[in-house]
Amino acid sequence: MTTLVSKLRQSTAAAVLALTAATVAGEAFAKDLTITVWAGGSNDSDAYRWEAIEMAADILEREAAILGEDLNITVESKGQFGNWQEFKQAVTLAAEAGTAPNIVVTSHLDIAPWSEAGYIVPVEEYLDIDAWPLNDIYPNIMEIAAFDDVQWGLPQDAESRPFFFWKDTLKKIGYSDEDIAAIPARVEAGEYTLQNVLEDAKKAVDMGVVEEGYGFYPRVSNGPDYAQFYQSFGGELLDPDSGKLVLDKKAMEEFYQFFVDAVDAGITRKNHLGTDWGQWYNEVANGKAAIWHGGTWHYGRYAQEGNEDFWNTIEFSLIPAGTENGRANTITHPLVYLITDNADDEAEEIAANLVKIASEPRLNTLHAIKSNHLGISRQQSNIELYSNNRWADEATDRLLAHANSQPNHVNYGAYSEALFKGLEAAWTGTKTPAEAVAEVEVQMKATLGDELIVR
Amino acid sequence: MQRSSWLGLAFLSPALIVVLLFFMVPVVLTGFFAFTNMSTATGVKGGEYVLNASGLRALADAGLPAKTLDQIEGAGYRVDARGLEALAADFGQPIADEFGKLHTGEVFAKRRDVERALKGLRSNPIRKTRDRKAAAELFKRSMMNERFPTLPAFEAALEEAKIPEADRPLITKVAYTGWVWTAENFGFLFSLESTWQYAKNTGIYVVFTLSFNVLFGLFLAIATFYLPAGQASTFRAIWFLPRILPPVLYIVMWRWFTWDTGFISTVLSGFGVAPKNWMLDTEFHAWTTIVLINGFVGASMGMIVFSSAIRAIPSSMLYASEVDGANRLQQIWHIILPQLRWPILFITSYQTMSLLTSFEYIYLATDGGPGGATEVWALAAFHTALNNYGGNLQYGLGATYALLLVVIGLLASLAYLRLFNFRNLLIKPRIEG
Repeated sequence: MTTLVSKLRQSTAAAVLALTAATVAGEAFAKDLTITVWAGGSNDSDAYRWEAIEMAADILEREAAILGEDLNITVESKGQFGNWQEFKQAVTLAAEAGTAPNIVVTSHLDIAPWSEAGYIVPVEEYLDIDAWPLNDIYPNIMEIAAFDDVQWGLPQDAESRPFFFWKDTLKKIGYSDEDIAAIPARVEAGEYTLQNVLEDAKKAVDMGVVEEGYGFYPRVSNGPDYAQFYQSFGGELLDPDSGKLVLDKKAMEEFYQFFVDAVDAGITRKNHLGTDWGQWYNEVANGKAAIWHGGTWHYGRYAQEGNEDFWNTIEFSLIPAGTENGRANTITHPLVYLITDNADDEAEEIAANLVKIASEPRLNTLHAIKSNHLGISRQQSNIELYSNNRWADEATDRLLAHANSQPNHVNYGAYSEALFKGLEAAWTGTKTPAEAVAEVEVQMKATLGDELIVR
Repeated sequence: MQRSSWLGLAFLSPALIVVLLFFMVPVVLTGFFAFTNMSTATGVKGGEYVLNASGLRALADAGLPAKTLDQIEGAGYRVDARGLEALAADFGQPIADEFGKLHTGEVFAKRRDVERALKGLRSNPIRKTRDRKAAAELFKRSMMNERFPTLPAFEAALEEAKIPEADRPLITKVAYTGWVWTAENFGFLFSLESTWQYAKNTGIYVVFTLSFNVLFGLFLAIATFYLPAGQASTFRAIWFLPRILPPVLYIVMWRWFTWDTGFISTVLSGFGVAPKNWMLDTEFHAWTTIVLINGFVGASMGMIVFSSAIRAIPSSMLYASEVDGANRLQQIWHIILPQLRWPILFITSYQTMSLLTSFEYIYLATDGGPGGATEVWALAAFHTALNNYGGNLQYGLGATYALLLVVIGLLASLAYLRLFNFRNLLIKPRIEG
């Protein structure tokens, strides 16, 4: 931090000098700045991830004008990346080349490796965390944007990942309206488990209500969703005492076995992984699948796919428990605003102030409601746009209270990659669940070393 | 050397530069990366030194004495004379006096606590967040979470914190954020079962695609040879399309062709066949598609080379054979194929090399699926080093995969040179002086 102090002294001195010079010349202090924003995992409805920064720039310019500074911020944004892989590749390589964007909207899981590599700077270097609006953000979500006691980023949104049931299909296999309405509570209490999912889905397939392979219709690619199933079987991702990642072999094997059972029962396709996302959304939104899982933002997507009547067609709950050892759960995977390391200290400071302003309740609510995500701060429930939204309200209530996040750990990326590879191998029948877990163990032990606890 | 030789060298120089830039440099870099543990977290350009909570935990696990750990953690933020003096120098005597009066001797765990204390002062000339943070930093008495750009700076900090000499090497090792040299990648790679799976996949891919390329290319060349010129060029042009189509477009068409709701499924549903994903249904489907996708592209090249080679066969030989009553098959077997020996060898060895390292069509079509069944070696290198969901880019390990591929490629080239006796091909005609 000594370097920081000297840097600060220098910049203060420079600012004083510049100010004096400007005063002498009788001109206002002028500064032109271009701030670039890259957002991963975004589609059109997520545009406020960068539009909020543009709005924040306008506010900051006006604030500067009142103080007699002529500040011109040009925001350049990019939200179209093929997928997460390509986005992360782009950011990482740009950071190595010294051309990283000033602001990145990305998964909170990137904080650990990117801070280690020096790609990002902590927002707490620039912002007063005790001041509004940051002191209004839910502490548990704020915590997700911190790593090693340092506040690296600010949460950009919150969400969680529910289980969905097609009501009509359940009725056809013998559920009454009351039974269906009781499912969320039964899931939460651990009465309705993944075994019941297998049974109900099988019934739906056997009775011809849905086609074979459409009884249980999971996510088609890697994602935080699969860690939920590991937790359903009692698996723990991180040991809170030692801060190490945990491989619970029994839970992992049971989790893999569940998907193998689903394939064997004919309710899930063996080659399901890799299905086109567009096709997948369209199918689940229109009742082609009996039971599936997704995220809170799916609410809006289903409407786009032609299902305007979410509440009468779909029921949602936590991810059910797998066994008595496990628990019903859901993972929240907030995206975060991160500030990248930049040669221009002032650009970092302005970028940090922009994300701060973008986190104000009104601006964040625009994103939350437009993209069907959940809010990040308490005051959002006092904004009508938010409080009048049934989905935001019920999803927050039913899911977010039980949500946990994946751990910020330098090696979590490798951990999660291994977990999914093992699942893929078991699911497609290349390996038995036991063999897959054995390989995952070898892989994790080698990549994580001392940072892994095997149970 | 003669002047003409210099001229030759000059003409060659663009090619040499290209070889140097696009082959030698990448190979050397790959070789260099393969012996490091480079990843996203270590970065490529080297590292800095920082001790954070995770590092401290690792040090505790490694058995560093608790006393040393305490020394590293230090006092956090302590309001002492030194800090107050600096505060007075930077922000004025009044604030230093009041702060000292209220908090001298106090220890704060976090900078945020110091900031709060500063905010609570009555005389408070600090109006900017960053200035307040800078003021709080003046009281820092710990080396935690501070990035030291160089080793001497870090060592100086250790010295200042009075860390025992004996503990320093371990602390330095843990604190370093950059990459280090290692040969462990190779052992690790071979300890993974999936590595052998990639090797097997690559074998399947090369053997089947290569056979398809060569045989189908030959078939096309010979078949079109016997067609009238106009028809022949039309057919060749059609078979050349896969090669000149942009790969992404070509694969999108294949996906549309094989998807659950695509062409094959739609047509077959008329015959009562349940729709399925003809590309990803089983390993067999995936491999068939991959071989066809690559095969059609590769065969067109064989077709062109073989066609021109056939044209080089003196037509008098073919006429003579017809006079002797040979049929088409006999012509092909006894005249055309023997004279195509060198082109066939060339296409075989050239395509082996390019197939070993090519993965773009697989990446676009199946991306290694289903369940890693079509994950070839080169694709695994790409996924490991540059492209995966978590953004966990392991440059070092990926480069190890790539380096082994370079070695295998070189060995295969040598084997081909020997097997096909290339020297014979390149020998100077005896008739020329």
